[in-house]
Amino acid sequence: MSYNKIVIGKPGTEKFFLGNEAIVRGALESGIDVYTYYPGTPSSEVGEAFMETFKKVGMKWVESSINEKVAMEVAGAAYARGASAMVGMKNVGLNVASDPLFALVTTHPKNKNSALVILVADDPQQHSSAVEMDSRNYLKLFKIPALEPSNPQECLEFTKRAFEISRELKLPVIIRTVTMVSHARSNVIIGKIKQSEIQDDFDLSKEANVASRLYFLKLKEDQIYIRMNRALEMSENSSINKIENENVKNDYELGIITSGVSYSYVREALDFLELKIPILKIGFINPLPAQKIAKFLEHLQQVFVVEENDGYIETQVLAIAQKIGLKVKIHGKDPFAYSKEDSLLPFVGELNPTKIAHALIKITNITPKFDLNLIEGKDYELLGRIPRLCPGCPHRTTGFAIKQATAKIKSKTRKKIYFYQDIGCYTLLAYPPLSFANVKYCMGSSIALAQGVAQINGSLNIAIIGDGTFFHSGISALLNGIYNKAPILVLILDNGWIGMTGQQPHPGSDTRYYKEGFFKQAIKLVEFLQGTGALVSVITHQKSVEQEYETKLEDLIYEKGLDVLENKNLQVIVVRDECIQKIIKRYKPEVRSVNMELCTNCGLCYNQFLCPAIIEKDDSAYIKSTLCLGCGICEEICPNDAIKREDL
Amino acid sequence: MIFDNYTIVMTGIGGQGLISLLQILGDVLMKNGYKVTTAETHGLSQRGGRVVCFLRFGSMLTAPIPLIGTADIIIATEKSCILEVLKYSKPDKSTKLVISTYEEKLINVEYPSEKYLFNVLHENSNNIYLIPATNIAEKLVKNPKTANIVILGYIVRFLPLNEKELENSLIQKFSENILSINLNVFKEGLKLK
Repeated sequence: MSYNKIVIGKPGTEKFFLGNEAIVRGALESGIDVYTYYPGTPSSEVGEAFMETFKKVGMKWVESSINEKVAMEVAGAAYARGASAMVGMKNVGLNVASDPLFALVTTHPKNKNSALVILVADDPQQHSSAVEMDSRNYLKLFKIPALEPSNPQECLEFTKRAFEISRELKLPVIIRTVTMVSHARSNVIIGKIKQSEIQDDFDLSKEANVASRLYFLKLKEDQIYIRMNRALEMSENSSINKIENENVKNDYELGIITSGVSYSYVREALDFLELKIPILKIGFINPLPAQKIAKFLEHLQQVFVVEENDGYIETQVLAIAQKIGLKVKIHGKDPFAYSKEDSLLPFVGELNPTKIAHALIKITNITPKFDLNLIEGKDYELLGRIPRLCPGCPHRTTGFAIKQATAKIKSKTRKKIYFYQDIGCYTLLAYPPLSFANVKYCMGSSIALAQGVAQINGSLNIAIIGDGTFFHSGISALLNGIYNKAPILVLILDNGWIGMTGQQPHPGSDTRYYKEGFFKQAIKLVEFLQGTGALVSVITHQKSVEQEYETKLEDLIYEKGLDVLENKNLQVIVVRDECIQKIIKRYKPEVRSVNMELCTNCGLCYNQFLCPAIIEKDDSAYIKSTLCLGCGICEEICPNDAIKREDL
Repeated sequence: MIFDNYTIVMTGIGGQGLISLLQILGDVLMKNGYKVTTAETHGLSQRGGRVVCFLRFGSMLTAPIPLIGTADIIIATEKSCILEVLKYSKPDKSTKLVISTYEEKLINVEYPSEKYLFNVLHENSNNIYLIPATNIAEKLVKNPKTANIVILGYIVRFLPLNEKELENSLIQKFSENILSINLNVFKEGLKLK
């Protein structure tokens, strides 16, 4: 599907592309050889599209790597060796990948074709992330050129530009998007797909690749004083840092500096206020074009810096104004205030045209066409809809068993029990009524968090982690726990895939069930765990005998939990069953329905079992056929035998 | 261009096919020479959470998110979800509210009453269209998942699009086994009063 949509099409034609699809097209128009990634919303579609198309378009290599650090290293080495490479991740992925990047930015490949573009998709407003973070702060730390597109067309163009810059400077270049760019769709005019120009002879010299005292400082000097210096020159002269309404005078002697998606919000807010003022739109967000900014400021009495999350641009604009001795008033967040009242724009959450209009009204005292406050003052009764595990998810039963078992342990031992959550679907177990979460940080952290508390007091500490996250970064924490004899209980909820982001494969996934699987080798999770010397129990979900299975799992958690408390052992329980979303792609679901005559409306299925497909309707349980995925667990748990397959 | 800077806000519950609506409408509008921008959020909303998305078109590309008080049409594929996005309706009450009568109730939480909803909707708009989309989809083709296409058929009357183009787009989008039921409910939506 991706092939028809993204690859096919004559140059000059218009496509209706998602920002992420435009990035793929832009890379293909740049002669990309290698793409590596770890899936994470809002960046995942890029990797999926490359996975589907790379053989057909003749790219050298594409992989869904075990984590972002490895993805960065694989792509980084390919870059040093002469490939046009790209690596993709979400905001927090860059934290994981940051370690190798420090050395990688100093690397100075000698090959003409070498280029490395790093896609980082931020998620302001935390639509689907554990934290909200502004990855632009890394740009100063790494000293790396970066571009920020504001819409899908720019996603294509800036990706091409990033490859050109990287190829010319021999520096990695970051493409930074946000959810409202990666997941926006709009008209995109496509160009010509370029064939790779990778050469087989290459120069993998020490100067280019060894980060050690022998070479590193020299390379760092070269990176900063030569290559970044040239990047600054490029930024000053680049057409993607452009001024609109340059000579338009306004009563307020006000101008705006902005970048990315915020630019489109600014346009919207200005239209609403019927205000025409100069705008400097920055596409080349590192290094910032200091001279161009200085020239822009010279004609203004006040400037409004509009950006999401941190005051990354604003801080630098303040410095530039000081450096050239300008008295221009700079509005924005006031990065030195840490005060809500003093900020015209918030540090937290996504921007939108309304927030910017409010700020512009404060600056200019314009009376708007209609009163925004009046609209926002209205308060409606909203239904809080909590997301839940999918219908048919095997780990709903796991949650139920944990609840029962830990209640028993608590009443027997009177010990405190703490739960450590990780990143994945099972985070939803942290919502009421199960509420299994005391602490949750980042990918792979649950196992180590449990150790931190277990090593200092006598409570029972339970880490809950999925198989994908375990392979990503839970492994090292488990090895640490085994080695340090940490008395913790680790539950690995193994559903075979990276479930939350769309069932992408991980190293433990069954290779038969995905297209690229034939050239992968699955790692056997249980054998691996046994090899570490940990005490491992394995239980496989059996939905045909759901109640019996639940009791078995409950007993197992109870027994192993007590062993952790009494004998100070580290216990691992692997709970296995495949992700229902993956199963239904292979089999037609056998949808269930309720026999209203037999149903006593006891509520077990919709009140306790909490399957989103089951609701109460007309004093009976009711299964919504649109949501039911046919797992049949409700049929098993119904005490009145009222649930049956619909086709029978 | 009469339809300039035109904004449609859509809301509903994950799985109701809102993103499909965005894709179908956006693609056809683009082929008609419009600049189209849509915004969607993925991830958790698939699992029973509320979804809000935007489709905007005209002679120029716009921001993915509109200003409050500026929507031309607001569509809700679940009744109570409309409350979340009423702030996008215009203060002059000219925004068209196209609301499915389908209710997805929550356990242990009271659903907004008919009277409350009636009052709130009339406070915000003089153009309210209540569509029994899910009932139609259930009765006509026994597949409530096609309720979104009933709505698509219904809103064609408000947009600068012709039925044939949308039909062709459905033919391209849906696989053979579900195409006829979708065309069926689409035509039903067109006919609705």
